[in-house]
Amino acid sequence: MGVNQLSRLYGDKPAVDRVSFDVERSEVFGFLGPNGAGKTTTIKMLTTLLQPTSGGANVLGFDLKTEGRKIRERIGVVQQQDSFDQGLNVETSLDIYGLIWNVPRTERKTRIEEVIARFGMEEFRKMPTVDLSAGQRRRVQVAREFIHDMDLLFLDEPTVGLDPIVRRALLDYLKERVHKGLTIFFTTHILEEAEYLCDRIAVINQGRIVQIDTPENLKRRFGSARAVEFKLLQGSSEALASALSSSADVTRLVQDSGTGAYRVTTTRPESVIPEIYRLAERHAVTVSSIYIAETTLEDAFIHMVTDDENGRETERGLG
Amino acid sequence: MNIYLRLVYRNLRANLDRASLFFELIFPLFFIFVQGFGLNGIVPPFEIGNGRVISYSLFLAAGAVTLTVINGGTNAGTQLWFDRKNGMFEQILMGPFTRAQYILSIIFATLIIGVAGSLLVFLFAFPVLGASFNPSLSGVLTIAAALFLGTVFFGAFAIALSVALKSSETFQIVSTFAFFIFLFTSSVFFPATSAPSAIQVASLANPLTYTTDIFRAGLFDAMTPTVSLELGILALEAVVMFAIAVIVFHRIRV
Repeated sequence: MGVNQLSRLYGDKPAVDRVSFDVERSEVFGFLGPNGAGKTTTIKMLTTLLQPTSGGANVLGFDLKTEGRKIRERIGVVQQQDSFDQGLNVETSLDIYGLIWNVPRTERKTRIEEVIARFGMEEFRKMPTVDLSAGQRRRVQVAREFIHDMDLLFLDEPTVGLDPIVRRALLDYLKERVHKGLTIFFTTHILEEAEYLCDRIAVINQGRIVQIDTPENLKRRFGSARAVEFKLLQGSSEALASALSSSADVTRLVQDSGTGAYRVTTTRPESVIPEIYRLAERHAVTVSSIYIAETTLEDAFIHMVTDDENGRETERGLG
Repeated sequence: MNIYLRLVYRNLRANLDRASLFFELIFPLFFIFVQGFGLNGIVPPFEIGNGRVISYSLFLAAGAVTLTVINGGTNAGTQLWFDRKNGMFEQILMGPFTRAQYILSIIFATLIIGVAGSLLVFLFAFPVLGASFNPSLSGVLTIAAALFLGTVFFGAFAIALSVALKSSETFQIVSTFAFFIFLFTSSVFFPATSAPSAIQVASLANPLTYTTDIFRAGLFDAMTPTVSLELGILALEAVVMFAIAVIVFHRIRV
């Protein structure tokens, strides 16, 4: 897939602003960005649902603007929003989806059994889709795309609502399919997933591509945003967290609700660590453990997006 | 299997509510057996054209059969609403289909519902009324044309309405109101010529008037020269409404 200066305006506002990138065959291409960055709009254009305002793309050898039907015959799409046939049970829903894609009956049966087993849907295969939980319905929605043949699969946050076991099973299944030749265009907000699955990642912010590289390279290049993790003997301290958040060296501070550990994203861990001890003393709490954590893709992502937004602020200021 | 057959089959399986279908059939039968029998004793038989004189209950029964056409039309809008609400509208449009194929598949599914419903009401009601028919080939073709064009018009109307309105609840209210207007300004319950002048004028623009008149003419062998003209007007209205539905549908925001 080759995307060239693709743009989409809503009124005067660009939702997607001259994005260009290439996706290779059998590649998992991650497309990451904050909410409203333009990920779904890009997918809607590349799947021919939405006309671009300008620019173009070549998808599977076909022109986006003139050969939409040929593109749609060879892609699969899992939308971000729910999609299901409300009058059918799970098995019939899968069967009719295969039917409208013109998959022969015997082939449909084989594939339905395969996805039911792989996605753990045996216990609710006869249940009406309207009665399923959000996670179960999401499983059906993802599994459904594997009933028909395709060369390129668009996945728009496919793991929302899935439990960790099903999520891992899905990611492993996707890897298997990629080994067999499938190409995947993947968006998610769970960056561990992107790191696990993607060969390359594009980061999009406010409609523009900020960076494209492998996860490892992104971490290396933007790893100046390091993380310091620490725990307090007292569990937590709102006063310390509030004071630390306002420090100039701290990009982001989050507390893990499970372990109670604080994670500080910073470019200067060497100055943040003494600051943590100083604040702990001031607020009469004790630091029980502290260490500099390995840079994650999430840290790199936050750094990239923050840098981009700061750059835009400066541009606006100069303008 | 043909692309339309696949989509129509899916529309019929996935989007039809059996309870609604049941009541769509009960509704015309209620008119035939309650209103028809009730008024039959006080309304004398009258001529409907070509010298054919029929009882009020038969007159109303024919009108009630075409009522199922309007009900079928509502189904077209409901099918589209279900797909939009459940995310299947976008999903199908990202599949190997065109928008025209999708909208036509809804119209075809509506035709099946409308024509099958009309036939069921007809087969159930007319033997009970003691009517016997020996329709000519031209009569059968006339009936088929009336049901086809009427369903296309009301199906396209419901699709245009469901695209234009923002919620399924509003669609249900507005379509019910619109269909009552169509119903009571048509010749389903009484001949348009005996209605107040304002309703007579409205009935001239009302496709249900033509659907019903043409259906009756074919059924009771009451063909007159005006039937051809009515067929022409109904065909024109159906084509215009279908074009409007296609235009509105192509502008739908995804």
